[in-house]
Amino acid sequence: MPDPITQIIQLVTSTYFLEIVVFPGLISIAILGAFFTWFERKLTARVQLRIGPSYSSPAGGILQGFADIIKLLFKELIIPEGADRFFFIMSPVTALIIGAALLGLIPFAPGVQIANVEVGLPAFLAIVTLSPTLVLLAGWSANSKFPFIGGLRALFQQTAYEIPLWLSALGVVMITGTLNLTGIVQFQQNNGWLILPQALGALLFIVTSTAEMERLPFDLPEAESEIMMGWQAEYPGPLFMLVQGPAFIKLYAFAALFSTLYLGGYLGPAIIPPIVWFFLKTIVIIVAVMLFRSTFPRVRLDQLLRQGWTTLLTLSIVNIVIAYFIVVGVPAI
Amino acid sequence: MEPLTSFFAVSVVLLGIGIYGLTTKRNALRILFSIELIYNAANLNIIAFARLRDPPIVTGQVLVLFTIALAAMEASVGLAIIMLVSRLNVDIDLRKLNRLKG
Amino acid sequence: MTDLTFLALATVTVASAILALEARDLVYGAAALGITFLGMAGLFFLLDASYVGAFQIAVYIGAVVVLILFTVMLVGPQLGEPPLELRRLSLLTALLVALLLGTAGSLTSAAAFPGPDNCGGGCDLTRLGTTLINQYGVPLEFLSLVLAAAVIGALTLAKADRKG
Repeated sequence: MPDPITQIIQLVTSTYFLEIVVFPGLISIAILGAFFTWFERKLTARVQLRIGPSYSSPAGGILQGFADIIKLLFKELIIPEGADRFFFIMSPVTALIIGAALLGLIPFAPGVQIANVEVGLPAFLAIVTLSPTLVLLAGWSANSKFPFIGGLRALFQQTAYEIPLWLSALGVVMITGTLNLTGIVQFQQNNGWLILPQALGALLFIVTSTAEMERLPFDLPEAESEIMMGWQAEYPGPLFMLVQGPAFIKLYAFAALFSTLYLGGYLGPAIIPPIVWFFLKTIVIIVAVMLFRSTFPRVRLDQLLRQGWTTLLTLSIVNIVIAYFIVVGVPAI
Repeated sequence: MEPLTSFFAVSVVLLGIGIYGLTTKRNALRILFSIELIYNAANLNIIAFARLRDPPIVTGQVLVLFTIALAAMEASVGLAIIMLVSRLNVDIDLRKLNRLKG
Repeated sequence: MTDLTFLALATVTVASAILALEARDLVYGAAALGITFLGMAGLFFLLDASYVGAFQIAVYIGAVVVLILFTVMLVGPQLGEPPLELRRLSLLTALLVALLLGTAGSLTSAAAFPGPDNCGGGCDLTRLGTTLINQYGVPLEFLSLVLAAAVIGALTLAKADRKG
């Protein structure tokens, strides 16, 4: 029977613990989150011919994210009067946990995966469907008009993108014949990246997942120029930081899922290690989604719903037909 | 592997809670909750019984997929009715919905 | 290990099911119902029915709970239940519930159904898919028809009094 200290050391140095806490778990998410906050602001600023954050360090304000965290942590914690305290605090916390659970399903490199579930892809998409519910609860709990409108918008928006999102991922499943994310990557090792045969599906997936992430041009629940940050409006400093967390984690998780499904995940020439390949691809997708933000204007809710139920749905069914012909082969007429 | 009896026990307890709610509650939404609980109890029972055979049979899972879809459907229609009732009647207490009583 | 996970999941499921019916605020009730569904999905995962578990999360929490929350918020807070009258029906219910719980207890003590350890072909996803399409293809088509009918019916009902 080893003494408690040895046990603790064993626990802390075990692979499982390290995977959850350090990488791909919590600490790396926090550091990446602070970095990408800065990066997004800088990128948007450069696209719009501004300078962007530049004071927080010698190298172009790279520490801006950390400075923001420190500033927000020292603000006063005010819970609005008449707010439902339980849901007001618990919804962002739960959203954060859900986001972390998403990253646990992604294969970052051979063997670096917290949970290799047999139904990885549906599990990922199913966990994602929880987040509009939490947004609605958070908006309701603030007991204020704009947050509640934001929450209801999140709900309406979900009905528009949910079905095309699942159907566009279905094309990949039909071609690879597996729901396991590692299995999908291994299929691409033998047959090439799926972005070529599934170009339409990839396009649909990135559009619908941008809507799922609630980022511009689909950031209706928090549209700051219409309903002033929507469901986040009432959150005070420290909690506002907590609310921002899930948004970044979802961006990160969806970029990782996109590169797993369509860009071969961690595959690549062996000059650089697989994990670096994975991050290169993920960062390319993250930058692409960030560029959407600085280039496209926001859509209206009715436009999003109409396009979701007509154009996106039709195109995703077309994509399924394409996937069918790829699997079965085009019949000779 | 946990013995299947424990899963049956959870299922039966959920069924009991569902029937309790169905018979004692008056709010239409609570009754809908109870119905959903009973659906879930049945689903758990079916899945657990599908594991009973050695090797397990897959039909149980297929059946539960159908049940889940049907439950979602029932919830959507039920909620539409509740919304309509609340518009016409303000209250959704089922014992006050006696307009058709002669 | 499985034992502890099962106990935790079962406790959460049952406790939140009771909370769903007994919470004063209907929003809390709906959220508790969502937690019940999550616990149920966890139990499905324990029974190696992982696809059904994912489906359960997506449909129940992604659709049903959201719809319920939406209705609760639209209908408005119906705080509290009227006090329970201990009438014949309630007594009958209490008896029935006690009977069911008793059955559960006896089942648990008997340990009559040990359950196979390895799931093998019974939990194979490919087999689930082929069975669903080959044997139950026609019911599946009818299910989609019924779903369409339900959507149309719900829309008609919800739009009914939008006259002016």
